[in-house]
Amino acid sequence: MTLYVVALGLCLAAALVPGAGRVAAWIAGLLTASGGALAAVAGGLALAGHGWQTWLPDLLPPVGVRLALDPLGGLFVAVTGGVAACAAVYGIGRSGRVVPLFVAAMLLVPAAASVGTFLACWELMAITSLALVLTEHRERGAVRDAGLWYAILTQLGLVAVLCGLLLLGHDGFDQLRAADLPPAVRNAAFLATLVGFAAKAGIVPLHVWLPRAYPEAPAPAAALMSGAMVNMGVYGLLRVGLDLLGGGPEWWWLVVLGLGALSALYGILQAAVASDLQRLLGYSSTENMGLVLMGIGTAGLLPGSPAGRLALAAALLHVVNHAAFKTLLFQAAGSVTRTTGGRNLDAMGGLRTRMPYTTAIFAVGALCASALPPGNGFTSEWLLLQSLLHALPGSGVAVAVTMPLAVGVFALSAGLAVATFVKAFGVGFLARPRSQAAELATESPPTMLAGMTLAAAACVFLALNPGLVLSALPGAHPVGGLVTLELAGLTGSISPLLLAVAIAVAAAGVLAALRKTGRVRRAARLWDCGAGPMSARMEYTATSFCEPLQRVFDHTLAPEGGVDVRSAKESAYLVERVEFRASVPDRVERTLYGPVLAAARAAGERARRLADGSVHRYLGYGFYALTGALIVLAVLA
Amino acid sequence: MGVVPVGLWRKIVKTGRVAEPAPPPPACPPPVPELAGSVQLRHVDAGSCNGCEVEIGSAFGPVHDAERYGARLVASPRHADALLVTGPVTRNMEVALRRTYEAVPQPRLVVALGDCARDCGAFKGAYGVAGAVADVIPVDVHVPGCPPPPEAIVAALRGITGR
Repeated sequence: MTLYVVALGLCLAAALVPGAGRVAAWIAGLLTASGGALAAVAGGLALAGHGWQTWLPDLLPPVGVRLALDPLGGLFVAVTGGVAACAAVYGIGRSGRVVPLFVAAMLLVPAAASVGTFLACWELMAITSLALVLTEHRERGAVRDAGLWYAILTQLGLVAVLCGLLLLGHDGFDQLRAADLPPAVRNAAFLATLVGFAAKAGIVPLHVWLPRAYPEAPAPAAALMSGAMVNMGVYGLLRVGLDLLGGGPEWWWLVVLGLGALSALYGILQAAVASDLQRLLGYSSTENMGLVLMGIGTAGLLPGSPAGRLALAAALLHVVNHAAFKTLLFQAAGSVTRTTGGRNLDAMGGLRTRMPYTTAIFAVGALCASALPPGNGFTSEWLLLQSLLHALPGSGVAVAVTMPLAVGVFALSAGLAVATFVKAFGVGFLARPRSQAAELATESPPTMLAGMTLAAAACVFLALNPGLVLSALPGAHPVGGLVTLELAGLTGSISPLLLAVAIAVAAAGVLAALRKTGRVRRAARLWDCGAGPMSARMEYTATSFCEPLQRVFDHTLAPEGGVDVRSAKESAYLVERVEFRASVPDRVERTLYGPVLAAARAAGERARRLADGSVHRYLGYGFYALTGALIVLAVLA
Repeated sequence: MGVVPVGLWRKIVKTGRVAEPAPPPPACPPPVPELAGSVQLRHVDAGSCNGCEVEIGSAFGPVHDAERYGARLVASPRHADALLVTGPVTRNMEVALRRTYEAVPQPRLVVALGDCARDCGAFKGAYGVAGAVADVIPVDVHVPGCPPPPEAIVAALRGITGR
């Protein structure tokens, strides 16, 4: 417990460092980084079984603050600490004083052991993250818009979680575990908290803040939010659904599975057609959280069976893997944005020669995110797929119908993920620069490279050594072994380390064989149809790369666009200006949020008539309210 | 199953095969035996009036069917074994024709089709013409005629494929 308290203290100290100069910023960054590292160790200790609990009655009267770290909370504290260490090193000198507060809030949420503490820490996390999103609000108007959406959705999520947890009636988590609540209350509480936690995790249809907030937030904040904050939604769902309410009827977990499948598919589809790099990464977060929710839903559907426990282990491992590679990707994207000044993949390219280190790191992140071996995403997605495949024998009609559908959705989202990250890496970093800004790009400063290297090292460690992490995960699960992961009770085994070694040896062998055959090589001109030299603008852009996918999924994506032709006054045949627009808006936002917002606006317009400035009307309101209250009190008394 | 596919199927069955019976195979062995009877051709219009193109279209059509002798038209010179050049080489196409020839992997052949490709034909001395095909790239086979009939084109292609 001392390690945890010291880590929190370091973060709070970093937030309170006075002064605005470079030295103060460096001190704050280093304090946050060490706080994060210590928190990771404290979380690891809790995972190993050294949990603790404490009660501070004076802090938040009248119920006090209850903190307890058990293995589940320890996992999320460890992940948050690791992400915070990388992000803090990356943003040394550039992050403000709000980042350490945000980190401290995120470290407190998994340790909360009572409803009051949980809600207070949750709200602190929400407010600090909102402040981080709004950091650059003076420079761009879109930041204010993004901040507004994020604030509203976060607060609505908080209200939902508040209602859900208050319905349960008790304060301490121990009391809740022991309480015997009627099924209606449990159902309502689960649904309410599911809404709040799904909004935080970026699950469709409450995901609309992700693609708006992530592009506008500064890179260290986006890395923290995507690597650590979305996990809090998953933590809340696990804590309330599986721990406090102790599992529940089948339909709870079918809902979770359905939401997860929908998010996985919709998220990666939107990412596949996105040209804004950070919007692409934000939608990829939705997809990964959808996969995690699919695992949790399967675990809830089949409690106690090997497939169910494997699904939970796969989901938790995917949380860890996703934190590692998403932090990495956002940091690299932030570096690119910083030096090119923009986020549009169409205007990048050719960064491999100008930013070689960042390109290599982004390549590692893209490999891991696309769930291909030898990346770390492959192991967790493979385990999840195994749990879905092995779920069938003798488990009931609902499972028999949903599992094949889930496998199909999983396969489609995995394929689209490969296309997405090939696009992000190939179009963004390879070939030749397509704009002036990309031509003048320079490599990132050493602190940013150090932060990215830390995250990349974590990705490589997780890719080669998932057995270590799996053996530390809470809950008994059937995956054993270090070099080769064996599934006890199910058929299947995989060895990520041997796979990586085999791929490396095969690649080296092929290269050596090619070099030895000594084929004559001649320098030839690139075939360009015989006409003049090809310009960089003729390369594949992100929009053209994904255009076939966009056409296939036309009905789902509903892209918008058009051609505006403005001709001269004299004749319609003399064209002055032609403008082409193409965009893929968020369909969920259009179809679900549009009508709600329009209805709210219409209700507000109608309500204006209630406050039209007439003094007589206001006096009348006061009079009738007073007499009405007196009558009610008289009747009641 | 609608009306159209059934009607088309009946037409196919009723028409049968209309290709001309194959003339006797060429006597000489092919110039590049490594191609082993399969030659991918990239057609380049270096400035022709399109008369030769119509005859090429007829040679690869159902009546003469040049593909049964191993000749096939491809879209990129990188995929080609031989170039099929028509027309005199205009000044605009001179560089493009040379680059196309250099893009064809070796072993490569060039077939100059028509009188214009051989010696500029009707356009000899025109201001827009740079020369005959042999002035720009080395030529292996000439097919005379303005335009050469499809049978002559098929015979020349069979001389390359050896089938």
